[in-house]
Amino acid sequence: MFGLIGHLTSLEHAQSVANELGYPEYADQGLDFWCSAPPQIVDDIQVTSITGQTIYGKYVESCFLPEMLASRRIKAATRKVINAMAHAQKHGIHITALGGFSSIIFENFNLHQFPQVRNVTLEFNRFTTGNTHTAYVICRQVEECSKRLGIDIRKATVAVCGATGDIGSAVCRWLAHRLQVGELLLVARNVERLTTLQQDLGKGRIMDLELALPTADVVVWVASMPKGLEIDPTILKQPCLLIDGGYPKNLANQIQHPNVYVLNGGIVEHSLDIDWRIMNIVNMDVPARQLFACFAESMLLEFENWYTNFSWGRNQITLEKMDKIGEVSIKHGFRPLLV
Amino acid sequence: MQQLESIPKYDFHSEIYKDAYSRINAIVIEGEQEACENYVKLAELLPDSQAELARLSKMESRHKKGFEACGRNLDVIPDLGFAKQFFSQLHANFQRAATEGKVVTCLLIQALIIECFAIAAYNVYIPVADGFARKITEGVVKDEYAHLNYGETWLKDHFQPSKSELEQANRQNLPLVWKMLNQVAKDALVLGMEKEALVEDFMIQYGEALSNIGFTTGEIMRMSAYGLVSA
Repeated sequence: MFGLIGHLTSLEHAQSVANELGYPEYADQGLDFWCSAPPQIVDDIQVTSITGQTIYGKYVESCFLPEMLASRRIKAATRKVINAMAHAQKHGIHITALGGFSSIIFENFNLHQFPQVRNVTLEFNRFTTGNTHTAYVICRQVEECSKRLGIDIRKATVAVCGATGDIGSAVCRWLAHRLQVGELLLVARNVERLTTLQQDLGKGRIMDLELALPTADVVVWVASMPKGLEIDPTILKQPCLLIDGGYPKNLANQIQHPNVYVLNGGIVEHSLDIDWRIMNIVNMDVPARQLFACFAESMLLEFENWYTNFSWGRNQITLEKMDKIGEVSIKHGFRPLLV
Repeated sequence: MQQLESIPKYDFHSEIYKDAYSRINAIVIEGEQEACENYVKLAELLPDSQAELARLSKMESRHKKGFEACGRNLDVIPDLGFAKQFFSQLHANFQRAATEGKVVTCLLIQALIIECFAIAAYNVYIPVADGFARKITEGVVKDEYAHLNYGETWLKDHFQPSKSELEQANRQNLPLVWKMLNQVAKDALVLGMEKEALVEDFMIQYGEALSNIGFTTGEIMRMSAYGLVSA
């Protein structure tokens, strides 16, 4: 059995979902209540591969909300992640993806130091960040969509914003070595990490966001911020392909400009309908087919019986691992969302 | 992104710590004493389980002695008058239910609510406890799972006939627990135990117990949060 640990995008969203699902006790509550709320399994999932194989899974709502990070309620945020992981393990789930902010919180606050959760010792090999599949899907989106928009990727300038993160650095590796993009712009806050990344890649130019955005033919946004991001589309090149692989995804709603193509990054479409309710709740355009690539990774690991933390730690994603997950992604009928 | 603050070091011998400890320690001692008596009462109501319940009762008595030693170790005199008052309403509800022969209500109060709260509080306390109290509490918490398990198993086996009484008893007693928690939230914080962590751990433990007994996710969400906000 596979699992997905997810959360809602804001307090307002959480309240409306609780209302829709018929839990008025949760719907009327403010942030304090959510800081005390326990994890819940809120959906049972059935997925069939194009090979005919069927697997089963569960969706664990962690009750984390991004406002917890924004208001520095860090202990609450970390409790949500750890408690949701313990909940998944207690329910016998073999492999669970840490969706949304869950993996970011796990990594940033070094939660691997706290494997003991009450009477449960967390087995980290039962969890995956799903970042290898997300990075792979984003790279395929860059490749396919630029082709469709007439952007020659070998001549194009591609800016990766959030380049030093786990997903960002993997995307940079693929863009530099597999796609051999014309110019690679590395954008992130930490200069030391940027320099290390640049040395590892043997390629790429470090640049500030303000300078990089107007220069790039393709912008890959893979930074995650509790409050979202605002970009002025008029400063971008035209045409420009903007892949929003961050979390939460808010660029597609925000940017409506004739020659700026915004695509939700790190999203896959399955070839067959998935039996679940949860993607309605996270507002996917085609809820029965579309899902976050990180969630799909746990499904792929379940299909293949690879019960291991395939994506774990920071900057461990190799091109070989991306190839490997990409191969089984295609085999089971997932494909990157395209413009 | 911000860094997680490491657990601060507490001055276990400061006056402010010892003052808060005198009430929290008393609650724990009184709680174990009442649990000991409640299991004796339950044994009268459930003669088939007499041996098992007598064993659980003795265990609670041992826990009480352990926690008394924790107080002595810090040179703290537990405020038992406060603790008796603290438990009085819940205690009265248990006594009334026992007199009326309502086994289900008695089990919900003692074997579910009180045990889940004890487990939650002990688990939150362990990382911030002094070395002596940590060892004692780690031993106790293992036993408390056995007590919870007794109540869960009995109620699971009698789920359908007990369901409405459980819901009624939950409505009557859970709001008391939130009020009790509010009463000691400040003292608990002095000891390094945050109210929201206590509530969360309680809801996890109580939710798991209700799930094992047979309640659905929706029922659990409603029952375990009952009265929390108005408290």
